[in-house]
Amino acid sequence: MHVRKNIPLILLVASVAAAALLITDPYILTMLIFIGIYAIATMGLNLLLGFAGQISLGHGAFFALGAYVSAILTTRFGAPCTAAAALAVALVCAIAWAVGLPCLRLKGHYLAMGTLAFGEIIHITLNAEVELTGGPSGIAGIPVLSLGPFSADSDARYFLIVWCVFIALFVLTRNIINSRPGRALQALHGSEQAAGAMGIDVAGMKLTVFVLSAAYAALAGVLYVHFVAFVSPQAGDIMFSIKMVTMVVAGGMGHLWGGLLGAALLTVLPEMLSYFEDYDMLIYGGILLAMVMFMPGGLTQGLARLAGALRARRTAVRPGAVTGGRTEDPVPRRTAP
Amino acid sequence: MSSQTAIVRISGISKNFGGLAALQEVSITVGRGTITSVIGPNGAGKTTLINVLSGFLKPDSGTIELNGAVITGRKAHAITRLGMARTFQTAQVFGQMSVLENVMVGCHARTRTGLAGAALRLPGVRAEERAVREKARGLLAMVGLAGQASMTAASIPIGSQRLLEIARALASQPAVLLLDEPAAGLNTQETRRLGELLLDIRRQGITIMLVEHDMELVMDISDEIAVLNFGRSIARGTPAEIQASPDVIAVYLGED
Repeated sequence: MHVRKNIPLILLVASVAAAALLITDPYILTMLIFIGIYAIATMGLNLLLGFAGQISLGHGAFFALGAYVSAILTTRFGAPCTAAAALAVALVCAIAWAVGLPCLRLKGHYLAMGTLAFGEIIHITLNAEVELTGGPSGIAGIPVLSLGPFSADSDARYFLIVWCVFIALFVLTRNIINSRPGRALQALHGSEQAAGAMGIDVAGMKLTVFVLSAAYAALAGVLYVHFVAFVSPQAGDIMFSIKMVTMVVAGGMGHLWGGLLGAALLTVLPEMLSYFEDYDMLIYGGILLAMVMFMPGGLTQGLARLAGALRARRTAVRPGAVTGGRTEDPVPRRTAP
Repeated sequence: MSSQTAIVRISGISKNFGGLAALQEVSITVGRGTITSVIGPNGAGKTTLINVLSGFLKPDSGTIELNGAVITGRKAHAITRLGMARTFQTAQVFGQMSVLENVMVGCHARTRTGLAGAALRLPGVRAEERAVREKARGLLAMVGLAGQASMTAASIPIGSQRLLEIARALASQPAVLLLDEPAAGLNTQETRRLGELLLDIRRQGITIMLVEHDMELVMDISDEIAVLNFGRSIARGTPAEIQASPDVIAVYLGED
């Protein structure tokens, strides 16, 4: 039972180890690094959107802020990367707290608009504060991540760092989900009234998960900026905020693997579709539309259905096979509302 | 009711919605360890009373005491922590979570694990998690839902959802349990089982305040009954007294 539950994670660890050893193609490595970075950001957004049921269209701004703070600290003040990263995440947490405090009083569409406005304000500020941020031309020459003598100066090393961070965060996040605070934030999604009646401080819990999800985005931004070595206000604009939400929805809201699957799909798909040249966006949109229609629970739901269908076929092939009393619904428990 | 044994004391509670006086100077005392029912026709203010008691609505005037401490105006989650838990008229389960997890959420008020402890699975957290799981299983067995523990809460029948709400509320170790029409939508057999369950809960020393339309259930299990009509408390007494009260009969059967 315990091992079975961990099979996907073990597979992921094994594939990361294998990829680090075997893959040398810089194009593929770069893509895998981006997938890992986006997967970290979407894992956090999934906590907010999928598990706690609170929308944010401003998470791109937290990503950008994480990137900018780390970039400014390392290029302007010569701060070591690790210290800059820690400071960037801490500062973004503080900002998210200050933004969440008024914003999270809003619900549904209004919350979406509030967070959207926040994202725009950050975007405009990054463009306008030329002295600090370099304005529209951004900041270049950002050093690569390093910790003491270890420097992530090759793509293979950077790949390993990003994915180790992802796996560590995945385990921590899973622990949170299957615990008292994790159940409390899921309860918010089910019924805020009932959550309150169960002794959960609804406003406090919302703020906690908002700040936590912003921290993931900030960390992803830090990893992004030290890999790309350049950042401009485009890094976390409204389009990116929406892309993050799309990743969560396409991957599977309220399912921990959803963020990773969505990030992978939305990173790989446009690359593959570039073959179609002018029609790529059309096909891209068509695929996403079809997914929302036929797989409202995202990729995780699709995969679970597939696994269920295969299992059903296997048992059907063996006549008289006892199903072992497992009558579980193959569809994951959390689907899109 | 002597004052020493009162666990909830509602004094002069009024609540207006615009021009509508939902509650007018309602005073009810709930004896410790009793089942006290609140009955009345539709629109009498019963649910408003539960909402005011549980902190979902602020009364315009009046005070509520729980165990001698004034709780008027406290937030819902704080009132639960002080020992008063509730269920909802339309069952509000956490639909996407499992039945067991729903009850585990109920333990929130009596456990401590924070984010960092949970993320790192510290030894104390594991122990608490085990204890919560055990307790939740025990409560599910008590309400008769042990077999549905791993199903999603949204997928079980409405009658089971009501029982789940009771188990979830009990998980917060309340001194007082507020039940808002727990028998609504239950068949005769289910209602009888509910009555037995409520008596069982009372035997464990938990005071129950029951808002209910099912008169048979109310008359069977209540120690005290308060009658509301148009936001006013018009009668109170034992089931026998209430059944004999001309005022109550007039309210329920209509006056000529």
